[in-house]
Amino acid sequence: MKNIVLIGNPNCGKSTLFNRLTGLGQKTSNLPGTTVDSYQGEIVLNGEAINLIDLPGIYSLFTSTEYEHVVISHLLGDHGNRPDGIVFVLDASNLRRNLLLLSQVAELKIPSTCILTMNDTAKRRNIGINLSEFQELLGLDILPYNPRNDDKTDALFDNLGKLKIGHRIYKTPEFEERLFEHFKGNKIRGLSTETLNRYGSIDGVIKKISFKKTNKYSFNTLKIDRVATHPVYGIFIFFLIILALFQGVFTLAKYPMDLIESGFSWLKSLASAHLPNGYIGDFVQNGLISGLEGVVIFVPQIFILFFLIGILEDSGYMVRASFISDRIMRKIGLNGRSIIPLIGGFACSIPSILAARTIRNKRERLATMLITPLMSCSARLPVYVLLISIIIPTSVFWGPVPAQTLLMTLAYFAGIILALIIAIVFQLFNKKKQDSEFILELPTYQSPRLQTVLHSAWIKCKSFLNEAGKVIIIISMVLWALSSFGPENAKIEAIKESQIAALQNDPDSANIRKSLLLEASYAGHIGKFIEPAIKPLGYDWKTGIALITSFAAREVFVGTMSTLFQAGEDGENVVGIRDKMQSERDLVTGKPKYGAPYAISLILFYAFALQCMSTMAVLKKETGTWKWSIILFFGYGTIAYISAFIAFNIFS
Amino acid sequence: MLTAKDIHIREIHEIASLVEGNLTQKLAEMGCVPGTQIEKLYTAPGGDPIAFRIDAYILGLRKSEADQILIKENTVNH
Repeated sequence: MKNIVLIGNPNCGKSTLFNRLTGLGQKTSNLPGTTVDSYQGEIVLNGEAINLIDLPGIYSLFTSTEYEHVVISHLLGDHGNRPDGIVFVLDASNLRRNLLLLSQVAELKIPSTCILTMNDTAKRRNIGINLSEFQELLGLDILPYNPRNDDKTDALFDNLGKLKIGHRIYKTPEFEERLFEHFKGNKIRGLSTETLNRYGSIDGVIKKISFKKTNKYSFNTLKIDRVATHPVYGIFIFFLIILALFQGVFTLAKYPMDLIESGFSWLKSLASAHLPNGYIGDFVQNGLISGLEGVVIFVPQIFILFFLIGILEDSGYMVRASFISDRIMRKIGLNGRSIIPLIGGFACSIPSILAARTIRNKRERLATMLITPLMSCSARLPVYVLLISIIIPTSVFWGPVPAQTLLMTLAYFAGIILALIIAIVFQLFNKKKQDSEFILELPTYQSPRLQTVLHSAWIKCKSFLNEAGKVIIIISMVLWALSSFGPENAKIEAIKESQIAALQNDPDSANIRKSLLLEASYAGHIGKFIEPAIKPLGYDWKTGIALITSFAAREVFVGTMSTLFQAGEDGENVVGIRDKMQSERDLVTGKPKYGAPYAISLILFYAFALQCMSTMAVLKKETGTWKWSIILFFGYGTIAYISAFIAFNIFS
Repeated sequence: MLTAKDIHIREIHEIASLVEGNLTQKLAEMGCVPGTQIEKLYTAPGGDPIAFRIDAYILGLRKSEADQILIKENTVNH
């Protein structure tokens, strides 16, 4: 099948155009030889099926990030064939800068065609373009098209059918060879002079085809920006938006999550009704289905948060957030661009670590990836909810604020503060300042497009499902095995004991049996084995088991505790678990065994420790080495241990 | 010499040249080339980074980056 690629600057409307062309028939897949996702979709052109590929938006072929490098590798046919055609997307309101890329790509002599976008904006700014002259000069078919408003695609497909090799508005000797050298990482001499000369030729073209009626531009965007980047209002708006983001996630995600839970409990009851009792039935219910549930339950929160972030990104606000935060970020060795992965970290680290690819400086990118897991992700939320309910009842207010809300905020801030400290320490170890740069286009504000936003949120969910999904399901199965099997004699003891409870007509006998069996299992033995190590933090062997099962996903903690405390099947029954936990007293001191000191210590442990296998795997993928995953695992683990130890001893 | 970081808000200037260095190529790619109109639009809290209009679009630059752009002395245009 023939490949046609879309090429253009960032923010030129390329992706919207791609959506118009492919409709819903698009998929994302890794570009060959890379880990970079690209959107691809099949279209039919003159009766022939064609694969249309949307490449990342770039300003120049002499790209600086690995992410952008994909475009060169694709155009040069580094993996597989060269594209059979190119669709240039040119922003009519900003032709000059857009033509730089075109002038470079034209030197590769690949059949092309051209779509002119943002014509309405150009018109508003009094820019006129002489289309026939323009076509003549480029030697290409040019179609003015506003992908946001125009919904007729006939002309578009017609244009795509007219691929031809265009004129080169600027010629350099051995362009391809030099581009390939750049791709291999070698420094190209005289590049900036070449760029200046290219602009010289481009200015010649512009002079012939475009005319401006006035010299001054009016940016509506400017009026918004004067507020959005204001030293007082700007920062206020930023925090307001972040707050709204969280509020939105917490309120909106509740409904689909409830739905997923009831769906899975229905599935479990179905399995228990139709499968034989014993290991197989139990495996399907508590290994397989629970594992699946553990994956799917996160999707609503992740989807909604990334949907809301997508709105902010597509409208142009996120770039402003980078703009206003760059000064502080720079001081701690990060970049304004780091703000996007860091906010995403509150949903899930996995897509957020991938989002750090837009940071050009390697050290800043690494620092961003290393601290992103310290943002409290959606898997920590249910753990915090349970533990905070142990510390203080819902009814308590501190001033006008519910005490639980305040504690939750503090739990989130614990992670943020450690992230800041780690960033600063990381900077101390990497004193060498290498080419930190900002240089960021602040695009015109636009109303976000639903399809684009939905799609980007779905892509984030997909990277979670792909990366974390497998890991969570596999670990769930292993944990099922560990908690189902155990040394034979311990098991017999447990069954005997539970039979006594049953004989005494204890209404809880089924739950007691389950709990005793878990205690007798390998998981129980591991819990007891590590108990001496976690005792200083105020945890017992039950918490030990839950800590281990948390390696699948942190929220599994709640379900495990529920089983251990015989709170019944329903893992979400926070009140039930809380009551059972609170009713236990220390045999020696008579104090509650699971009181506030225990909960505070555990919250800190969960806030800091890198318990997520999937994050470690993604970190390895992005850095190319296990080194950082291992350093973070032990480093954050040690910090978690020490701070939990200190907190427990202060509060008890 | 006057650089982009020194110009005042809403004054329209023209770029004279770029200081030769690590950022030259990147800035040139972004359209900061001699003869281009440049106008300081607003700054982030604390005065850094700064948003400029470069010909027909808005570009955010750190002060240190703006310092690499030399400005023609006699092109002030309110």
